[in-house]
Amino acid sequence: MNDKAEVWQGTLALMVLKTLERAGSLHGYGIARQIERTSADLLSVNYGTLYPALLKLEQEGYLTSEWGLSERNRKAKYYQLTRAGRKQIQKQTQEWEQMTAILASFLNPKEGLA
Amino acid sequence: MRRLRGWIVRLGGFFNKERKNRDLDDEIESHLQMSIEDHLGLGMTPDEARRQAMIQFGGIESMKEFYRDQRGLPLLETLLQDIRFGARQLRKNPGFAAVAVLTLALGIGANTAIFSLVDAVLLRPLAYPDSGQLVWLCERGPDWSGGSLSFPNFTDWKDQQSAFEKFGVYSGENFTLTGAGEPVRLAGSPMSAEVFAALRTQPELGRVFREDEDKPGAPPVAVISHALWQNRFGGQAGILNKTISLNGKPRTILGVMPAGFEFPSKVDVWVPVGPYCADSSWQKRDNHPGLFGLARLKRGVTLENARADLEVVAVRLEQQYPESNKTRRVQIDRLLDNQVGNIRQALWILLGAVSFVLVIACANVASLLLARAAAREKEMAVRGALGAGRWRITRQLLAESGLLALLGAIVGLLFAKGVLRVVTVVAGDNMPRVGEVRLDLGVLLFSGLVAVVTGILFGLAPAWHARRVDLRGALKETGRGTTSGRAGLRQGLVIAEVALTFVLLVGAGLLLLSFHRLMQVNPGFEVDRVLTFHISFPEGKYQTVEQEVLFCQALREKLRALPGVRAASLASQNSIPLHEGGWDMRFVIEGRPEPPPHLQPSLQFHLVAPDYFQAMGIPLLQGRDFTEQDNREHLKGTSSGNEWGAGLDSIIIDEEFAKRYWPNQNPLGQRVRIPWGEREKQPVATIVGVVGRVKENRLSERGGLVQAYFPIYQQTVGNMAVVVKTASDPAALLGTVRQQVSQLDPALPIFGISTMKEMREHNVAPDTLNLLLLGGFAVLALVLAIIGLYGLLSFTVTQREREIGVRVALGAQRFAVLNLVVGQGMRLALIGAFIGLLGSLALTRILTSVLFKVAPTDPLTIVTVTLTLCVVALMACYIPARRATKVNLMVALRVE
Repeated sequence: MNDKAEVWQGTLALMVLKTLERAGSLHGYGIARQIERTSADLLSVNYGTLYPALLKLEQEGYLTSEWGLSERNRKAKYYQLTRAGRKQIQKQTQEWEQMTAILASFLNPKEGLA
Repeated sequence: MRRLRGWIVRLGGFFNKERKNRDLDDEIESHLQMSIEDHLGLGMTPDEARRQAMIQFGGIESMKEFYRDQRGLPLLETLLQDIRFGARQLRKNPGFAAVAVLTLALGIGANTAIFSLVDAVLLRPLAYPDSGQLVWLCERGPDWSGGSLSFPNFTDWKDQQSAFEKFGVYSGENFTLTGAGEPVRLAGSPMSAEVFAALRTQPELGRVFREDEDKPGAPPVAVISHALWQNRFGGQAGILNKTISLNGKPRTILGVMPAGFEFPSKVDVWVPVGPYCADSSWQKRDNHPGLFGLARLKRGVTLENARADLEVVAVRLEQQYPESNKTRRVQIDRLLDNQVGNIRQALWILLGAVSFVLVIACANVASLLLARAAAREKEMAVRGALGAGRWRITRQLLAESGLLALLGAIVGLLFAKGVLRVVTVVAGDNMPRVGEVRLDLGVLLFSGLVAVVTGILFGLAPAWHARRVDLRGALKETGRGTTSGRAGLRQGLVIAEVALTFVLLVGAGLLLLSFHRLMQVNPGFEVDRVLTFHISFPEGKYQTVEQEVLFCQALREKLRALPGVRAASLASQNSIPLHEGGWDMRFVIEGRPEPPPHLQPSLQFHLVAPDYFQAMGIPLLQGRDFTEQDNREHLKGTSSGNEWGAGLDSIIIDEEFAKRYWPNQNPLGQRVRIPWGEREKQPVATIVGVVGRVKENRLSERGGLVQAYFPIYQQTVGNMAVVVKTASDPAALLGTVRQQVSQLDPALPIFGISTMKEMREHNVAPDTLNLLLLGGFAVLALVLAIIGLYGLLSFTVTQREREIGVRVALGAQRFAVLNLVVGQGMRLALIGAFIGLLGSLALTRILTSVLFKVAPTDPLTIVTVTLTLCVVALMACYIPARRATKVNLMVALRVE
């Protein structure tokens, strides 16, 4: 568990949004598990940052939350994307793709744009 | 955008915190439960599953804190916390809080008041659209300025210039309004239509006059003020196109100007100036009928461009008309400068002085806070030991001082209102734009800013000290030992206070001395028991000069017969001493070579009736007074009887006139010619008497033109001043005097009633105001500085109680103890006074322009101030020193 990589700063928000896009509506624990599973358990989510990050996304209007019942009839807070959240995914995805493309051209100069 | 929304939501985080905390707890709990269930699913025991879930989650408390910070605005929250804490601290020390708030209120309030004056008078643009483009014009020469325009010069300037978009002239004239209630005298202004256009102020009702109404022969029209419309015509819209009677002539009202439109000053009637130029005297280039110019610069034209442009025109006119225009040039100033020019410097000086007061107030409060910080040293140390960061403690102390400053500003606003009331009453119409002074948003922002800056200024010293508190030392220390660094800072503050106070005291002392000298000036007339008022003949009612003379004689007879009246006389309105404005005219002495016109000397022209000198208390030094026989008899049978000035035959001159032109000779019987019009019709007057010199315009004036008096029975004018010398209080006679006038002519309004004493007070009002304000600030500064010195010494005595007790126990004499404390205080006071002396030598020079017959480094003032300050400081030192001598040995040693 210790050799798992921590989620990079700034990428958590996009992972959360993307997870919710796929799952529709999910609670915090579910989101964390989902992120870990998607990364084939290579990533571990720090809960100390996950919940504040969820709060921030909600404050900025990308998410809404409401209390509901989990699959095991447990009370849990469910998060859901808003329309602004969906737009934000598109925007951030583009930015990431651009970013990785640039980085790739540094890592593999032969295939560079030049 | 999204970020903004985030901040707003976070502001909401202040509310309902408990429910939100419960929500978070629930969410964490549900997370843990789900995690435990998953772990149980892996076959762990319940205890092990819970442990693993907890480990995986990590630090719950730190996560919660992180979460809470994200939920609200932590900086704001701690700020609120600091303020709440500060308020609690202040409530616990109401005495300290009251003194500090009051001190700051005086400082901030005085600053707010003076700033609002500066703002309204100097900083705010005039209330006309795009007022920066407005300029004021007059004539000037090589050694004089502010002369009025002649009409032909104006028309030539206007036609030949290219700098102005609009250019007109205006003058002042009083009108008697009849037929609308009691006859009343109105201030009015003949004005070009273009002046309205240049000012761009729209009338409230109707319209202003057009160019075609601003010409000779146009139908008579008028525009009236909002105040006149309300007071005399009930504010009815039907006023438009009504005809009113001004000076006995009908005029049609075209429009009403809005309230607050006060150009050229506070007047009630505006009439077109154009028709006046039909008068032949207006067509003379050397006649200057009180006209001044107002223009709007074309877009993109600067003041300098306009000056250069008009200079060319003036030079051209000088070559064309050397007789009248030799060396005459155009003076152009910004309208704002023209209106506030002479008060600007005084206001800046006051603002400087009042900022000194604020600095002193700040120093005092800082000193108070430092003393309190000494008492709170342990509190700070404990909080530091418990983990409060230094920055956090600093912030908290700053919040406390900020709160003090804010309270000070609020109380200070009330104080400012009081100061402003005094200023407006004392300044009256002597200060331009004073009606615009108000505590508006700009001023509130200013005092808010001042409060913040002061809060930081005086809060910084203790806060800075708190950061240096040595935890171990402070906690260990049992007694109230001396903390030398802090004491040094407080001493520095006291020295600064004394130094600033010294400068202010010197300034106030100089003004006081100057005012004293001003009031000792002999005005040349009697100040006590002389009443004056004005009357004016409505045009058309008194057809001939003879009729007016008859009226004057009848009025004089009636007034003289009144019991309690010592003497009664009349004069032309601006012949009265200390009257703003007046006539000057060129003269030639008969029998001496006649210089060319532009080199002819001028005299100050007065028209007076017999007994004028007696009524005004001006001494007759030589020759005789005018008599009833100095009338128009000598004109009988001549053709020039109707020409203006033709009647002038005898003249009385002042001593200066005699001294300048007939030194060591008898001036009586000499003849003076007034070079008006055709040579053979020019009046030639014989000198019949010599009288004392009077102050013509200002009590402080020196030099000036020679003065000459002509008999009013030879040449009357429309506006007259009546002068009555009474045996007792002049105001008591007013009723009977009024009665006498209305018996003679009920349609004649009486106005401008004033005793000569009031005239003198009015004349020195700006000096009074300067003295009152600067003196007030100096006294305030002195009180604050003394409180500062006293506070520091009593604090030191308290701190050194044990030491003093030991000294006394070891046999120190009462005097030695007294000396110890007084010596410390006086050392500070003297250092402060010395620095203040250097400062005042450097600074009082700026007072030169407002001082009368006093050098800015007047040694008497400086010595007096030094002595005063020392005596007061000595008293402030003595009280705590006396307390020190009474230190009870046992009590002092038992303090431990």
